Amino acid sequence: MRVRQKGFVLIAMSVAMVVMLAVMGLAFDFGRIYIARNEAQVFTDAAAMAAASKLDGTDAGLDHARQAVAKLPMRWNLGTKSFTGVVVEFSPDKQSWARVTAPDNQVEISFLRAVGGPAVFTVPAHSVAAAKPVRLVE
Amino acid sequence: MRAQNQRGHAMIELAVSAGVMVACLAGTVQFGYTFYVYNQLVTAVGNGGRYAAMRTYRASVPSDIEKGRAAIRNMVVFGDSRPAPGVVPQVANLKPEQVQVDWVMDESGKPAAVNVSIIDYTVDAAFGMFRFTGKPAVEYPFVGRFAPAESEP
Repeated sequence: MRVRQKGFVLIAMSVAMVVMLAVMGLAFDFGRIYIARNEAQVFTDAAAMAAASKLDGTDAGLDHARQAVAKLPMRWNLGTKSFTGVVVEFSPDKQSWARVTAPDNQVEISFLRAVGGPAVFTVPAHSVAAAKPVRLVE
Repeated sequence: MRAQNQRGHAMIELAVSAGVMVACLAGTVQFGYTFYVYNQLVTAVGNGGRYAAMRTYRASVPSDIEKGRAAIRNMVVFGDSRPAPGVVPQVANLKPEQVQVDWVMDESGKPAAVNVSIIDYTVDAAFGMFRFTGKPAVEYPFVGRFAPAESEP
């Protein structure tokens, strides 16, 4: 009986710790994942608009569009990391639309790893913008 | 003697484990809420930046530019360029003064891009405070109508 009692707190604590890690993971890691996703989406939205606004049907227009995307100062991971591997694609006629994809924003997982989660979680985002944008009357 | 010893053990174990648990819970609440608010801020500046990008830029007198900025700030904070009185901000305690709107002009004096960012916003997450200055920030290209001779309604 005494032997069982001694082990109980240890077992209870380890079970509670695993549950706690999972809860912390849900709050911390999912929080960061959602922010990274949102930041990437806002970036591709702006980048697609920047690229599409430069299109004029020529190859020079495509270059300007790529430069406009590269020039955007936006960052992710709580505003600390710049976007890498950004893909800019265009409509075949080089003047209708631009599509920007930010494919490899890898969020490092801290707590969910301890309960079987992955080491990194990738949150890609992509946006398409038309070269003739909607303008507000306002 | 033995029974007393055991009770002491149990109390120490409780104290240690409760300390760890409370610290973990406090951290979870603090970071969870802060991330939640930061995510809302990212959405808000993103929407405000998009609005600024598509809005007509009027500049017949300097106060037109300021009125335009005010409309953009309102869009970030309230999701509405002309909010009704008493409208609650989309992000807790965010005020229009905490939104910075900077136009980037090209050589010809036309707006080329707009920067929207949050300055001096503090998240009160019960167990700690986080202050954000200069982030989240977005830059949108200006794709709206350029009307330097018109005045803001």
